[in-house]
Formats: sequence, C-alpha cells, structure tokens
Amino acid sequence: MVPLKYLLSILLLTVGLVGCGSAPEPSPSSRELTKVTLALNWFPEAEHGGYYAALVNGYFKEEGLDVEIQPGGPGVPIIQNVATKRVMFGVANADQVLVGRNEQADVVALLAPLQMSPRCIMVHKGSGIRRLEDLKDMTLAAGSGKAYLEYLKTQVTLENVKLVPYAGSSALFLKDENFAQQGYVFSEPFVARREGADPHVLMVSEIGFNPYTSLLVTHGDTISAQEELVAKVVRASRRGWQDYLANPRTVNAYIHEVNPEMDMESLRFGVEAIQPLCLPENMPPNELGVMSLERWQALSNQLKEIDWLDAQLDPATAFESRFIEAVPGS
Amino acid sequence: MKHWFQQIGPIMIPPVIFFAVVLLAWHLVVDINEIESFLVPLPGEVWQVVQEKSVELSRATWNTALAAVSGFMLSVVIGTFTAFVFSQSILVRRSLYPYAIFLQTVPIVAIAPLVINWFGNGFQSIVVVTVVISLFPVITSVTVGLTSVDRGLRDLFEMNRASRWQTLLKLRMPHAVPYLVTGARTSSGLAVVGAIVGEFFAGYASDHYGLGYLVLQSSGQLRTDLLFATIISSALLGVMMFALVTWVGYQLLARWTYAQEQA
Repeated sequence: MVPLKYLLSILLLTVGLVGCGSAPEPSPSSRELTKVTLALNWFPEAEHGGYYAALVNGYFKEEGLDVEIQPGGPGVPIIQNVATKRVMFGVANADQVLVGRNEQADVVALLAPLQMSPRCIMVHKGSGIRRLEDLKDMTLAAGSGKAYLEYLKTQVTLENVKLVPYAGSSALFLKDENFAQQGYVFSEPFVARREGADPHVLMVSEIGFNPYTSLLVTHGDTISAQEELVAKVVRASRRGWQDYLANPRTVNAYIHEVNPEMDMESLRFGVEAIQPLCLPENMPPNELGVMSLERWQALSNQLKEIDWLDAQLDPATAFESRFIEAVPGS
Repeated sequence: MKHWFQQIGPIMIPPVIFFAVVLLAWHLVVDINEIESFLVPLPGEVWQVVQEKSVELSRATWNTALAAVSGFMLSVVIGTFTAFVFSQSILVRRSLYPYAIFLQTVPIVAIAPLVINWFGNGFQSIVVVTVVISLFPVITSVTVGLTSVDRGLRDLFEMNRASRWQTLLKLRMPHAVPYLVTGARTSSGLAVVGAIVGEFFAGYASDHYGLGYLVLQSSGQLRTDLLFATIISSALLGVMMFALVTWVGYQLLARWTYAQEQA
C-alpha cells in the first residue's frame, strides 16, 4: 500500500512540476500565430537581451508571431543552419556572415543591435599593459579560427606571445599574472573580478576591427519570399532591444531562468556594459540597429587582407537595411 | 618488373578502382545537386587546397604525429606494466580494474582544462590527453593475454616447480604478445584521435600547431575544403600508424610465439 501511495505522490508531483515549467497557456484568440524559430549563437546572455525582451514583453505576439528562441553554445553552426533553412532566423556576428557568404551560404543580416564589438583581450592590471600594441612576453588564450585574432596578428607584433587555444575557462588567467585571454567585455572581466582578480580590458575595436555583433540574420530566399514576416520579426526585435536597454529587469529574470549559469548580478552588469555598445556616442535610441555600407565595406576589406574572403565578394549583398528604415523610431 | 606487378597488382587495383568510383560519384552528386561549398566541397577543390597548403598540412601532420606516437608508446609501456601488475593477483585486479575502466569512460572534454592546469599548454599536455584516450585497450588486452593461459600449460609449469617469475617470463608473456599486438593496433588509431583532441584544448596556435588547430581554423572560416584536407591528413596518419604497428606486430609474433596464425 505504502509504495503505491509514494508512487502516486511522485506522479502527482511530476505532473505538477511539468505544469509549472511549461509556457503560459496561449490566450484563446481566433488569430493563428505564425511559428518562427530564432537560434542563438551562445548560451542566453545579455548580448541576446533584446530578442528575449521581444518575447517576454509580447512584441513578437503582437506581430502575430509565435517565436521559439533556441539557446546556442560552443560551436553551434548558426550560419550553416540558416543557410540550409533548418532555422529561419539566427543570431550571428558580421564577420561570420561575410565568411559564410564567401562559401555560398546565402545569409543576410537584418538588424545590428550591438554597433560596437564587445570583443576584448583581458590582461592583469599589474602587467602594466594598456594597449594591444603592448602585448608581449606572455601567453594569450584565444579561440582558434577567429577572424579577429588573424587580423590582430597583422596589426600588432605580439612579440614573444605564446598563443594557446581558449577552452572557455578563466582558471589559467586567474593563477598567472603573465596571462591574457579573450573575452566579451560584459562577461569574462566581470567573472574575473568576482574571483578576486583585477583585470584590465583592451578592446579589439581599438585597432579598427569592429564587426556588428548579435546580428539578426536570415536566408536571402526568406527575404524575397516572406517579406512581410521578416519585417515583423525585425520590428519586434528592434522594439525588444530598445526596451531591454531601458528596462532590463524582468527580461534578465527570464534569461536567468533559461540559463541559470547567468546570475542576476552578472546580467545586470552585462546590460550596463552593453548599453554603450548598442548606442555609442550619443546615438539616439530610434537609430538602434542600423547598418551602414561603409562599416560592412571596412570589415570586408579587413577580412580580405587576412585572406579570409575572395576579392570579388560584394559586402553590399550581406545586409538588408530596408526593414529597419521602414520603422519610424519609437 | 612483371613479377613485381603480379604480386602487388591484385592488392592495389581493387582499392584504387573503388577510390576512383567514389571520387566520381562524389563529384557528380555535388555538381548535379548544386550543393553549396560550405556543406560539401568538390573533390577537385579539396585537391587544390591540398596543393596550396601542402606545407602547412604536412607540418601540422608531423606535429600531430609526434604527439600521437609519443602518447601511443607511453600507452604501450604504461599499459603493459599495469597489466603485469594486474596479472599478479586477482585481489589487485579486482581493486584496480574499476579505475582502469574510469580511464575509458572519463569525458576527455571535462578533464582537458584540468590537464592544462596541471601540465600547462603545449606538447606535454597533448601527450597526456593522448595517453588517457589510448591507454585502455592496451591494459585490457594484455591483462587478458597474461591471465587466460591454458590450464594444462599452467599445471605443467606447476608440476615442474616453476617459480612465479619463470611462469611470467616463459609462459604468460609469450602468450600475451598477440594480445598486446591487438591492443596496440586499436590504441594506435585512438592515439591520433587523442592527439587532435589534445590540440583542441592544449595545443599552440602560433607555431608548432597540429591538425587539431587546422580543424578549428578551417571550421571558423567555413572552409570545408580545408577541413576535408585536414581530415584526410589525419586519416592517413592513423592508417600509417596502424600499418606500422601491424608490421612491428608481425615481427614480434614471428619471434615470440610458436604459431603465427593469430596475426
């Protein structure tokens, strides 16, 4: 008798938990929502905040969309998945879009929430290094196969710098004063500080390598075949970003829920650090996400310099601005 | 000349023809279906990148080979020694064997950061990862070889009052050699995998890079042609190590055992 009772209560508990975990009941509306998938390039973090804001605040729903945000992780093939139409929308960085187009992946950028690249090299303050040009006589952990690293190599001498792969852990940085590592300015330096280190941050954008980051991307075919839908996703995402920068609390709570690794404190720091990257130099909020041909051109030239792109690749095909311009700033 | 061809021909011709057919089919499938190059490159494109990057590819293969061979040899030595210890008493075997299995099941991705913390970046860490991945087959095979000696032969040694040492040297060890060869063959292929995985985490990206670095580099650029070339290089390295170990195995078997049929 007793085991049965236990079994029943476990069963009930499970059902209860499942009930709690599932998404809120869709409101009974006669309007059919269009199902859309948005795949992230990393675990949910502040750099995806605006997309989550559009979800949490119901902006996607207001456009008649039922958006599923798929969390990413290391090595998730966003460009490939968008180019093969396994997912309709994705989040990627500008250099990846160009590199993908160079290999016949028809991926097009629609919105550039992070105007400035958060990519940085983190050193210990005690090292005395204050510029990327000063990096020498040390170990630098950086992701192999990253465009910024190849470009950095052409710009600074990196005299006697031992390049080692970055496996995602800051342990080596924390125990070695003579160690530098890559990071995103709103993430790794925060963790290092919390662990008692005193990091100094060198922005890679200072040497001029500054790809748009957390871009909303889709397939070229989707733009021509489902223009209306693309316009809706861009409009809602943009509203989401504008809202996230002003009012991140509830969205951060949601991100913390889907990625418990990110605690509220890290997320609060993240959104503060992301603000000047999204709206640099007094850029008004109604211009959030805009892209310019000059910026794409400059990045394309840098990638051609390191032989990552063929000379004939046209950066003008890599982005589509009309969906942003069609929206009057809120 | 004719004699030489008659010997080699029957061995060489079928795989060469098969290879040509595969290449042709590959080309046609990609060409007809207009498959984009980031998904599957044309065989011609792979061949072109092999020629363009021959220096980088051969240097990377050489660096990976150094780590793979070092790790493999360490695995054979450590594995054989461990098996000797295991074979000496059933109590020892029972106490330690679960931990040997741990080696086989440990997710290398999880311990790689630890390996770097303990041994630093570079060659020694890559070799450590290689040993972790390629050690287990040697331990199991040699242990089985040392302990599964025919009952009758063991009784014969006992009847003649052979010492434990004499039994090990004259009976168990010769019996274990074919098992060692089998274990080493499995281990040689795994050593190449181990070296490449080790390079993912602990290799150098500046100079002295190996195939693991080229894998990351080419996937970062979506250069599937270079990725294919790298995969082919690592496969060739694996086949070469396997062939070498098999050849050495034949020599050993001819010398150490009465019969060669196990080979």
